[in-house]
Amino acid sequence: MDFDFSEEQYLLRDTVRDLLSKESSPAAVRAAWDSETGRSPQRWRKLGELGVLGLLVPEQFGGSGLSDVDMVLVLEETGRSVLPEPVLESAALAAPLLARAGSPSLQSEWLPKLASGQAVATVGLASQPYVTDATADLVILERDGEFHALTQDRVTLQPLKSVDGARRLFKVTAETGDDTLLGSSAQHGQWAFDHAAAATATQLVGIAGALLDRTVEYVKVREQFGHKVGSFQAVQHRLAEMLLQVESARSAVYYAAYALANDLPDASVAASVAKAAANDAERFANQNALQLHGGIGFTWEHDLHLWLKRGKALEWAYGDADFHRARVADWIYARN
Amino acid sequence: MDFQLSPEDAAFQEEVRSWLQAHREQIDHTREVDWEAGGEAFERYRAWERILFEAGLAAIAWPTEYGGRGATLMQQALFTDEYVKAKAPDRINRLGLGLLGPTLMAFGSDAQKSEHLPRILRCDEIWCQGFSEPNAGSDLAALRTRAEVDGEDFVVNGQKIWTSLGRFGDWIFTLCRTDPAAPKHKGISFILIDMHSPGVEVRPLVQIDNSARFAEVFFTDVRVPRSNLVGPLNEGWKVAMTTLGFERGTGLGSPAVFNRIFDDVVALSVKEQRSGDPAIRRRVAQSYIETRMFELNNQRTLSKLAKGAQVGSEASLNKLYWSEMEARIEELALDVLGPRAELAPGSPDAERDGGWFGEYLYARASMIYAGTNEIQKNIIAQRVLGLPREA
Repeated sequence: MDFDFSEEQYLLRDTVRDLLSKESSPAAVRAAWDSETGRSPQRWRKLGELGVLGLLVPEQFGGSGLSDVDMVLVLEETGRSVLPEPVLESAALAAPLLARAGSPSLQSEWLPKLASGQAVATVGLASQPYVTDATADLVILERDGEFHALTQDRVTLQPLKSVDGARRLFKVTAETGDDTLLGSSAQHGQWAFDHAAAATATQLVGIAGALLDRTVEYVKVREQFGHKVGSFQAVQHRLAEMLLQVESARSAVYYAAYALANDLPDASVAASVAKAAANDAERFANQNALQLHGGIGFTWEHDLHLWLKRGKALEWAYGDADFHRARVADWIYARN
Repeated sequence: MDFQLSPEDAAFQEEVRSWLQAHREQIDHTREVDWEAGGEAFERYRAWERILFEAGLAAIAWPTEYGGRGATLMQQALFTDEYVKAKAPDRINRLGLGLLGPTLMAFGSDAQKSEHLPRILRCDEIWCQGFSEPNAGSDLAALRTRAEVDGEDFVVNGQKIWTSLGRFGDWIFTLCRTDPAAPKHKGISFILIDMHSPGVEVRPLVQIDNSARFAEVFFTDVRVPRSNLVGPLNEGWKVAMTTLGFERGTGLGSPAVFNRIFDDVVALSVKEQRSGDPAIRRRVAQSYIETRMFELNNQRTLSKLAKGAQVGSEASLNKLYWSEMEARIEELALDVLGPRAELAPGSPDAERDGGWFGEYLYARASMIYAGTNEIQKNIIAQRVLGLPREA
């Protein structure tokens, strides 16, 4: 038994972290808040060149043919750096969904472009009222028990505005038809929802980890009463609890990735455990990061709110903590 | 990442499982028998320890040179898992096997090791831990029990408290002050004391549930050979920190224990017809999530240790997690019972003869013993997160 990642997986994580520390710095994320599209084609291309966007694309279509276990560390970094671009939607959901459900012609048309970063895809599940990045080249929508793959000429978009200025949300109406049909919800709905919940949980762990790290650094330098505030027990105990929650949620999202990658019988419940745990850990980190930063954290100028707002936004995506706890309870009592 | 057991580990698991199955009858011999009753009840548990010893399973974690099996951490975890699932007996000599044995291997003299390790293994010596004192709880280094050098002996005076197994103890490993003039961490020594020596008095300590599972141990001019000193004189604090590392680490909080409590609470909620209550369902789910994460945390730690990482202050994360989780699960059990939770042992209508309330109290104790959870948070903040010590 080995509940750990390989050298290669850690190396990829470090490479992605390195790239995103430059390309998705707080200044870069703020630029995305202020720009019209909120997206940087250049950043997307660099992610494609690094192989991040094609991790789950089969090798025959120009991807690496890897698994959710390889993807999980990458997704954590996208959360950690509050990356604006839809790596989750395009690379972690749409690409493997196409690889799973798409016709050969759809696959050969789209998968190479998604892997290289020449195209962007997004996914709108039936349970989610809004679609992020619906301006993508390919929009996969779940409507009335079916999945459809739609190009922009088949959708009408109403832009919305998120509290997280880097997120781009849309209400989408679509002209679906036999020619856009990808597959049924009965076949793919559970798979898509579980993967979306687990991937979002992973980003939440990345955000919570970043909130913890930034707060620890802050309390090591901020002084009051002639002492570093990080020397006060009231502060230390909150941070110790944050660490415990973040590390435990991290275990849960890593396991969910493994269970999904191997299609284990407990994959759905593992995804729910991960999302509930990550939500709670992020919420706790969110509350305490702002509290421990004090007044400075409440300013627009300070970067903290980039993480605070992304974290809150993702708490409600693909089921909140109570939704997932209810799913876990159903599973427990079905066994008993 | 791979959750499949290696062929060797799978074979080990199977060996343990079938051995336990083959000893079902001996296991059942202790069922519903409380060793705290002493006498014949206690001897049943000692007999079980001898069966484990004969099978080479008394201390699988110990190196083979000391009579163990040199089991890997993974195998130790598998053993505990199977042991708990088989509802095999409490380990009455757990302080000797789990704490003192490894401490002696790290710091003991050859004479100490050859005298005590075989006797611990055979359960010929029951060991107690003598660290806490009435005025040295969280601030353990404030301890006052004195050991003064007199010729070839120490002369020990003082008092220890919260001594598990005190009534049954043959030996106690203690922290004593040997240099009162030194700063408090510097003047402490780790000394082994024969509890049958003149001047040792054990008094039962009646606790919150009106039972006496702990004792107080008093030392009045107890003469202890200087050869019973473990590690260098006045450097007992370092030895003790190693011992506490064993205590707070994977040793105390086995996932199988909490999984079993959780399963019992689920069954209770069904039996009590509370499983349709959304509030109960939500908390049952949360307890599952927590037990699952605890298990996964352990597996992650084990995997890192197997690759040569050292576990240090992270043991505090483990202790903090399981003790708070356990208290929440026990509270949930009481809430499932509702007003029946109040019924005391011996009362008509009491579920498990009031046992759930007793378990709840014990869960509260676990947030205090082995270093209170507040102390664990200090350790995590300062040694894991690198925050400055309180000014």
